[in-house]
Amino acid sequence: MIYKGILNGCSTDIATQAGELNNFISDNLHSEDTVGSTILFYSEKEQRDALIRLVPTESVKLVRITRYQPENILKALTTMEQGEMTHLYLFPSGFAGSEMAVRLAFRMKGSSLVQVKQIEYSGVQLIASKTVYANHVLGTFKLTKKPYCVSLAKGSANDQAINTRDKLIVTEYDMTHLHENQFIKASKAIPRKQASNLTNTRFLLIGGNGMKNKADTQYLKQIADTIGADFGVSRPVAMSGWTSLHRQVGVSGSMTKAAVCIVAGASGAAAFYAGIEKSKFIVAINTDSRAPINKTSDVAIIDDYKAVLDELVKVMREDRPI
Amino acid sequence: MNILVCFIAAPDLDKLIEEDWVIDKDLQIDTSFLKPTLNSYDESAIEIALRLSDASQKTKVSINHKALTIASTPATTILKTLNALRFKQVVRIDSQDDFRFRPGAIAYILSQYVLKHATQDVLFLGRQSTVGENAKTHLLVAERLGWPCITQVSGIEVIDENHLVVTSQVDDGQIRQKIQTPCVLCIGEVPNTFMRVPTIKDRMLYGKRPIEILSTTDFQLPDETEELLDLKVISHERHGIFIEGETPEQKARELYKMYLKERLEKI
Ligand SMILES: Cc1cc2nc3c(=O)[nH]c(=O)nc-3n(C[C@H](O)[C@H](O)[C@H](O)COP(=O)(O)OP(=O)(O)OC[C@H]3O[C@@H](n4cnc5c(N)ncnc54)[C@H](O)[C@@H]3O)c2cc1C
Ligand SMILES: Nc1ncnc2c1ncn2[C@@H]1O[C@H](COP(=O)(O)O)[C@@H](O)[C@H]1O
Repeated sequence: MIYKGILNGCSTDIATQAGELNNFISDNLHSEDTVGSTILFYSEKEQRDALIRLVPTESVKLVRITRYQPENILKALTTMEQGEMTHLYLFPSGFAGSEMAVRLAFRMKGSSLVQVKQIEYSGVQLIASKTVYANHVLGTFKLTKKPYCVSLAKGSANDQAINTRDKLIVTEYDMTHLHENQFIKASKAIPRKQASNLTNTRFLLIGGNGMKNKADTQYLKQIADTIGADFGVSRPVAMSGWTSLHRQVGVSGSMTKAAVCIVAGASGAAAFYAGIEKSKFIVAINTDSRAPINKTSDVAIIDDYKAVLDELVKVMREDRPI
Repeated sequence: MNILVCFIAAPDLDKLIEEDWVIDKDLQIDTSFLKPTLNSYDESAIEIALRLSDASQKTKVSINHKALTIASTPATTILKTLNALRFKQVVRIDSQDDFRFRPGAIAYILSQYVLKHATQDVLFLGRQSTVGENAKTHLLVAERLGWPCITQVSGIEVIDENHLVVTSQVDDGQIRQKIQTPCVLCIGEVPNTFMRVPTIKDRMLYGKRPIEILSTTDFQLPDETEELLDLKVISHERHGIFIEGETPEQKARELYKMYLKERLEKI
């Protein structure tokens, strides 16, 4: 099988993208008759060498563009890849990756699946699995038409370092002539001010809808600061605007892997839980003994989160200066 | 400006208890006892469309907003609410088919609707459905129509009859773009866009307006390129040890002494 990984080197999350591809390749694409390469889009000349070092395969096509604009990238990819015998295109889990996987498959008359956890190739079809039913169920799908275009599930990157090898083949393409798609009349990028620090947190305190309002959310954030934990929230809290969106944990927010994760006032819905399932130790504090989070935690306290956390701050203060 | 909001209603899966998660031989899970609720991304899309309509006096661009779903009868309550919220038109394309994992078919019907039944300037769709989690429909509709698509949209302003300013999330921040219609906008996470509740008066006055009903048999569906083979319930169970105690204070102390102290010292 011939596969190609596609990376967006114009985005500051490029290391995560490369890490995800690297892990997925080593978990899923190790059979001897598998040949892989990477197509890397980038715009800043100075970053070229650093970007090459991130590439997870031995061969890479470097494509220089002015800006990563989906319509243009699709044009570039379909032009470059026409007539190529690629079976599988792999995209990282980000927004750009999922969009490209679906649209490229459509244009190349192939099949696509997004947020894929695992694949298996039988020679005639690709079997791929992903979560469905709001993360409650794992679905297995058959992709019947080549090329198969797949984007990866979020959170599949672990800390495994990319094996920096001498790249054997580097082919360069200049596509800076691709003009902005006509439908865009003006555009302005607004870089993220606060990078989400939750992905790599060691100690996480999460507040759910049980907080009921903005004041309680700020109160819990203070507790998090006092005990030295990062602060995350469930989706309803972010959607109510009680805190900024970058604190959201779950399939549509950050996927975390803390050593200790305390969940206060969240029911533990599957779409939320996916964001904490890689935690080493999970504590639930919930007034409802039937809330699903109790069973999916290591320990659970059935009580009001405020009363419990106020006391926890006290004990921690008594034990060591915090 | 003609805006079509395509939405899907699904049961609130968080209401199912462990025993309810049974997959039958046809790969179905019985959720018929739960009432359908609006997909949360589509809910944001609906509220955004209503706000654009509210703002039309200021912008001087009249908004002709329409809501459409491909669904069987249980969606009717939601359609009535949308009528009461004064959507200009509410459409249901009737179908009993299992479209859970067929975004290609849904996208085909939606695009045919726009091409053959009602010309549109902008289509709003949500980022992802709850049951299928396909996250593909909006992209496939855009491809079928040959329209551009902006994903993860978080803000829309109408500039004139043919132009919008759209803010959307990208992997390393946000982007604000002035764009020309037609286009497909996929609504992502947008805080503070819970759907408004219609007044009782509006429910009485507008709620019972007729809903346009079409049939999927009016549309010939394309072959699927992906097919569901199997479903398996995911279990996340851990120890789930309950910390006992008379008071919350006792429980907090027990938690720290027995479970947290040592772990936190290692961090
Ligand atoms: C496609 C899709 C993607 C989604 N992505 C995400 C995501 O990324 N992240 C996410 O979080 N959700 C996500 N969701 C939503 C998810 O399904 C749930 O709706 C959400 O996680 C519920 O949040 P919650 O537990 O905070 O709120 P609720 O379900 O309302 O739970 C509140 C909990 O607080 C408890 N409580 C109340 N008062 C107190 C008190 N004083 N002390 C202690 N406990 C108290 C209650 O018993 C209850 O268990 C997604 C859903 C879909 C369909
Ligand atoms: N049956 C349907 N009728 C109308 N719109 C739909 C339907 N199914 C999906 N959509 C739209 O497509 C979006 C993404 O769905 P999906 O691709 O299934 O994740 C949803 O948020 C809706 O806006």
